[in-house]
Amino acid sequence: MRLTFRGGVHPKGRKELSREVPLRRFDPGPGEMVFPLAQHIGKPAKAIVKKNDPVLVGQKLAEADGFVSACVISSCSGKVKAVEKRRTIAGTMSECVVVDNDGAYTPIDGLGQKQELSHLTNQDILNRVKEAGIIGLGGAGFPTHVKLAPKEPDRIKYLIANGAECEPYISCNDQLMRSHAAGIVEGLELALRLFPHAECVVAIEDNKPEAIAAMQKAVAGKARMRVLPLHTKYPQGGERSLIRVIAGVDFPVSMLPADVGCIVLNVGTAYAIGRAVAWNEPLFSHVLTVTGEAVQTPANFIARDGTSLAQLLEACGGVKAGVTPKKALSGGPMMGVAVASLELPIQKNTNALTLLAEDPVERAERQQTVCLHCGRCSTICPNGLVPALMADAIAMQNWGRYENKLHGLECIACGSCTYICPAKRPLTQMFKQTKAEIMARKRAAQAGGKA
Amino acid sequence: MNQTLNLSSGPHVRDAWSTSFIMKMVLLALMPATVIGILTFGLPALWVVLTSVLTAVGTELIYDKLTHRPDTWKDGSAAVTGLMLALTLSAQAPLYTPFLGAVFAILVVKCCFGGLGKNFLNPALAARCFLLISFPNSMTAYGIDGVVSATPVAELAAGQAVNITSMFLGSANGVIGGSILGLLIGGLALWSFDVIHGQIWISVLGSFTLFMGLFGPKGFDPGFLLAHLCGGGVVLGAFFMATDYVTSPMSRLGQTFYGVLIGVLGALFRIKGQAADSFSYSIIVANLFTPLIDTYIVDKPYAFRKRMIQRRLEGKQPFRIPKPVVVLTGIALLAGLALSGVYSMTKENIDAQKAAAAAKAYQAVLPEAASFEACTEQLAALNGEVYGEGYGRVYIRDALIGKDEAGNVVGYAVSVSSAEGYDGNVTLSVGVSPEGKINAISFTELHETPGKGMLCGEPAFMDQFAGQEAKALILGTDIDAIVGVTITSKAVTNAVNAGVDFINTQLRGK
Repeated sequence: MRLTFRGGVHPKGRKELSREVPLRRFDPGPGEMVFPLAQHIGKPAKAIVKKNDPVLVGQKLAEADGFVSACVISSCSGKVKAVEKRRTIAGTMSECVVVDNDGAYTPIDGLGQKQELSHLTNQDILNRVKEAGIIGLGGAGFPTHVKLAPKEPDRIKYLIANGAECEPYISCNDQLMRSHAAGIVEGLELALRLFPHAECVVAIEDNKPEAIAAMQKAVAGKARMRVLPLHTKYPQGGERSLIRVIAGVDFPVSMLPADVGCIVLNVGTAYAIGRAVAWNEPLFSHVLTVTGEAVQTPANFIARDGTSLAQLLEACGGVKAGVTPKKALSGGPMMGVAVASLELPIQKNTNALTLLAEDPVERAERQQTVCLHCGRCSTICPNGLVPALMADAIAMQNWGRYENKLHGLECIACGSCTYICPAKRPLTQMFKQTKAEIMARKRAAQAGGKA
Repeated sequence: MNQTLNLSSGPHVRDAWSTSFIMKMVLLALMPATVIGILTFGLPALWVVLTSVLTAVGTELIYDKLTHRPDTWKDGSAAVTGLMLALTLSAQAPLYTPFLGAVFAILVVKCCFGGLGKNFLNPALAARCFLLISFPNSMTAYGIDGVVSATPVAELAAGQAVNITSMFLGSANGVIGGSILGLLIGGLALWSFDVIHGQIWISVLGSFTLFMGLFGPKGFDPGFLLAHLCGGGVVLGAFFMATDYVTSPMSRLGQTFYGVLIGVLGALFRIKGQAADSFSYSIIVANLFTPLIDTYIVDKPYAFRKRMIQRRLEGKQPFRIPKPVVVLTGIALLAGLALSGVYSMTKENIDAQKAAAAAKAYQAVLPEAASFEACTEQLAALNGEVYGEGYGRVYIRDALIGKDEAGNVVGYAVSVSSAEGYDGNVTLSVGVSPEGKINAISFTELHETPGKGMLCGEPAFMDQFAGQEAKALILGTDIDAIVGVTITSKAVTNAVNAGVDFINTQLRGK
């Protein structure tokens, strides 16, 4: 029996477009580099540079503002052009540091130097992770130094390195594991120091045999570490799916993974921890895939933060001749965000630019019918919800039923129900909106109660 | 890159399955049964199928046009309804029945309630029930090649043996979609492609079998249970009707509950009710419960379910049987107990009444007799099997010799049943004088169609037998059949002939 969670869907992987292309560095030429201050979950960082300040590669541009926040690091050298509102990948205007890149990439002192690790205390490791501005590179962008500091580190049983990469099209973590397995393991070993009773499990979907082999080689002989090949299925790389498989626990959204004894780190994050702690290299570059049917030569990059999507597309030979891109996604087609323009800076947790030649949503909108009550959504929901009934409750504005009887707030917005729905109804989208509305109402009620 | 890019909230990919694709899969899955049905019943079956499907699609097309709604007739759901309706009809059905049924299904049950996804009853089944009520005669005329006879389920209800192999293959008498083989091919294919939910059909068939075995007349006799499963649309209902998306619950737990409801009701109707068409009603009743089930029985998210087995393994909690199982078993047991209680309470009464009716019938056919002497020996020799040849499925139930007060034989009386009545059994008593003349006949069991088969119980027909020579009577020569009531007339004549033959060979002159 192959390891997997309950439910899930099998969208076309399309990883063959880019999976065999080795990682390469991409350094954009002189020009603007834009660093949003709110790339993570939590409070936006506070800018510590001002207009005309000279900056170097690896220099801190903004300081974490409070505990749940993260620093922002410059990926280029040059002069600060402005600290102003710019449009970001999230679609909103938000405060950014704009640096005029001189193209020389002059580093700060000591960047990339091997560090002595034996004397480091746990607090030293957490401080370095925080100073390096590391956030979860898998998606949501939760500050890693917060994640690595649960209330009771001794009760953590599993440190899960997430190399599942279940999102279609994306292949950068596959390539990272193939070529930088030792670097990932270095970061994981450092993280493992924080959790004395934890076992590190590197979880990889079985459609990446080369990555599995490379990681197995890298963990060979290491204590408390193993590689676990998983069934290929979306959303296998979701935090909760992984914990279901590895720790055998289902837990409600009111609980954190640490509450059930698990810490999940993306392999990219693990690599960033290793670079930051062992090599004094803060997080200013990360792996990213540029792919899709509309891209000339899809590729995997180690890209610098602040580079624009358009520059990366250029580096791939631009749009494929004779093809009109219909949709550009930051990320993959399941969880990714559609962007209106490519003149947007990549952020720490931008893992892909997917340029689609066909927009399946256009066709789906033509095929949309009423709900058949076929129940496919409930069969595949990885959390065991009944999306069709949730949608009915929304239609009737029965929020009590939505929240209490149907447990609608347990939705993790993985998109599986929208994907599978034969009536092509935008279920996930409704749930995201409803969740936001219910939360807003709760906050308002709370504020009202206080006043 | 100057062209406009589409914007939408994710996910940005969709599964290939659409509503019309699913409908096409269901149509395809119904094909084996349809083809076998048409091969078995010939061209009339084809006409019924075509009329039903075309009418259903046409009705929706016209409705769409008249109400300026989107072209929903193209999605294939109307065709599925039409085909399902046709499969529940007899090939002998006059073509206005599939026509009216399809119009009713689409217009009344589906479109008037808001079209696809909004109907609260399965349109095909609702139409079938509508037709059953409106045209009871033509709806229950089952037969092959124009020869109408009782369906296997009617025979089962009469306590007779049926040919399960012919039921399985579809060559037995019944509806067009009666081939279990064809239905199983299609149904299991749908299940393996995850089009229909296993919990529904498994719980329907499982609970039906269990209830039938526990409370049915023959217990867990495999042949009997199999015959009941193969007949009367149980398989068609379990795989294609009960699993209709719109009218079945959405959560797994609800689906199981709904399936059990259908199975139990179906078996209950079979055991206690009139035979053939009860399964349609059990599904329709369960359909009505679907909104209620969906409101109250919803699967909890995995994180909120208690994993009993795991907890038991960890020793934290003793193993408990899931609550729904307890509740359902309780309901099933209570219903069964109530039924058997009522049955045993009324059994004596019923038996006494039956005996009184029989005595009255014997008195009627042998008025001179003061006492009757049972001929148990000769009866026992029959082993309860079909009597003789050429009388159809006829059984000798009882045989008596009538004597006057002085002990002289004044005549012979037998009680004969024919299973070849139009609607189940016909049981009658026939009295023969010592001289070899039929005294009279008297019915103890006759529940045929009013105005048709029931006419056989009128003196105009019955009195023809009185005074006839005690020999094989020929319908049309010795006895005039009632016009349009051939089946019952024939069954009665055959029963009389069998009774007379039994008297002549076994009782007289001994």
